[in-house]
Amino acid sequence: MSLLTYEFMVRALLGALFTGLSAPAIGTFLVQRRLSLMGDGIGHIAVTGVALGLLTGSSPTLTAVVVAVVGAVVLELVRASGRTSGDVALALLFYGGIAGGVLLTGIAGQSAATLNTYLFGSITTISSTDVWVTAVLALVVVVAAVGLSPQLFAVAQDEEFARVAGLDVRVYNMLISVLAAVTVTVAMRTVGLLLVSALMVVPVATSQQVARTFRTTLATAMGIGTVAAVLGVVVSAYVDAAPGATIVLLALAGFLAAYPVGVWLRRRERLAQPFAEPVAAGGPVDHVVAGEDHEHRHGDDCGHQAVPHGDHLDYVHDGHRHAVHGGHYDEH
Amino acid sequence: MTATSSGASPAPVVAVRDGTVELGGRPVLRGIDLDVRPGEVLAVLGANGSGKSTLVRTMLGLVQTNRGQVRLFDTPLPEFRQWHRVGFVPQRVSAASGVPAAVREVVASGRLSLRRPFVPAGRADRRAVDAAIAAVGLTDKAHHGVSTLSGGQQQRVLIARALASGPQLLVLDEPTAGVDLVSQQALADTLGALVRDGTTLVLVAHEMGPLAPLIDRAVVMRDGRIAYDGSPLEVFSDADAEINGSHHPELAPPRSDHAPAVAAPFDPSSAHGEPR
Repeated sequence: MSLLTYEFMVRALLGALFTGLSAPAIGTFLVQRRLSLMGDGIGHIAVTGVALGLLTGSSPTLTAVVVAVVGAVVLELVRASGRTSGDVALALLFYGGIAGGVLLTGIAGQSAATLNTYLFGSITTISSTDVWVTAVLALVVVVAAVGLSPQLFAVAQDEEFARVAGLDVRVYNMLISVLAAVTVTVAMRTVGLLLVSALMVVPVATSQQVARTFRTTLATAMGIGTVAAVLGVVVSAYVDAAPGATIVLLALAGFLAAYPVGVWLRRRERLAQPFAEPVAAGGPVDHVVAGEDHEHRHGDDCGHQAVPHGDHLDYVHDGHRHAVHGGHYDEH
Repeated sequence: MTATSSGASPAPVVAVRDGTVELGGRPVLRGIDLDVRPGEVLAVLGANGSGKSTLVRTMLGLVQTNRGQVRLFDTPLPEFRQWHRVGFVPQRVSAASGVPAAVREVVASGRLSLRRPFVPAGRADRRAVDAAIAAVGLTDKAHHGVSTLSGGQQQRVLIARALASGPQLLVLDEPTAGVDLVSQQALADTLGALVRDGTTLVLVAHEMGPLAPLIDRAVVMRDGRIAYDGSPLEVFSDADAEINGSHHPELAPPRSDHAPAVAAPFDPSSAHGEPR
């Protein structure tokens, strides 16, 4: 591949790989806690962090990590104390973060274009130090999210049960918030702070369509995120488009492709749900024979939905439930 | 499991002394003294807002006491670490969450009290999860998504999760609320088998239903205090008296309730319990 002869492309692809792997890993737990927009909230706070770096002349990545982690901790404390509802707390952070960022960037005398590289990403300009930082942070996020997935799953699923199982719920909740903040800053250079959340949430929403277990949801989301991120960089190199936006749009395209499959799978599952078993206490059920003009033979491949009903199958068609009984069909 | 018949009276599984709880400045539990003895099946009854749910949540440390002390297995609650000895079935919201999860994965959460972070589940863990799923009769559903199950089946998943650590004390908050009668009977059979094995049971209930034969002690809560503590049969006649406005229920006109013996005490308007 000729792309790999450019050193900046290799760095871009590596950055995309680490981001695509780590963002959905932590995003799965955010979606499970129904805090899909939390990544966005943290991303907005990180804007202030970046501006602080520009103002003080220190590394924007470093200040962004610090400010994002502090913001995530505050967000979690506000949420856990229950004084403000989660979405109001998020809204406050959204606007405070972006306004603070714009204000500080102006004071620092930097142009909006400088801020833009962080808001929308600039993966082709990342240095080899950036790649290393991204790799280490992504490794931390993936190891924690996958290694602690039983604990994080239990806490996100049912906090009270987790407490009675002896888990320190506050520590695990805080860990999810801090990991989300780290992920946001990891993804900052790839897709940008404003699109970070997409890479955390969209792959999860996509894998939910086809997965039935938590483990497959997590693994598939990480796979989808990686493919979207790497493919996005390659595509944007050929068509000369913004890499961050290309990655996110590719992920969304994946969701659009998976959604009809999910609808079909869920519908199939619902139709195959067994009918309630006949209750013995309810007395004998009336024996109703289907109409005599029932020429059709029900069977494995007759085209009608077969649904378990007690010890037999009911065939569903035209509002009837037909069960085989001797040489005829019963209405069930 | 527990030494029910070993000589002198064994330490209570749960001991609450002068338990007092205020939530948002309002007293919810007031001076509760309660011992739950090993092997006992205790039903906590009472109207909505009587503090029955708060009482069991206080026993588990989910609600902090403002005064008084709670001991689990003869250990003060703040020092208690053997959480695998306790199983908790919270009031059911739903076993499903924002992300798909299989029955097996939800039940496996019950083993976390015995597992260390970053260590994968061992063979003993997997076997215990299988056994817990079998105990509630969902073996054929183990790999199904919980969101595809009926309400009664989801309740059984939550019970299996509580059983996965092999608890000696099982606490259930409204296990029968919003569960159809067939599932209630299945639940009663499961719990009956546990009781025969010596498990101590504490259950909050709005109505007894098929669970009634299991219960050997009832506590009735009223306004944050224990209003009655004793045999379950007398509660029901007392409850009848309350409902019929008379201490002589046999003289009152017969009630045409379809389930006369299982009406919620002190709460005649909601004989079906209410899903919250």
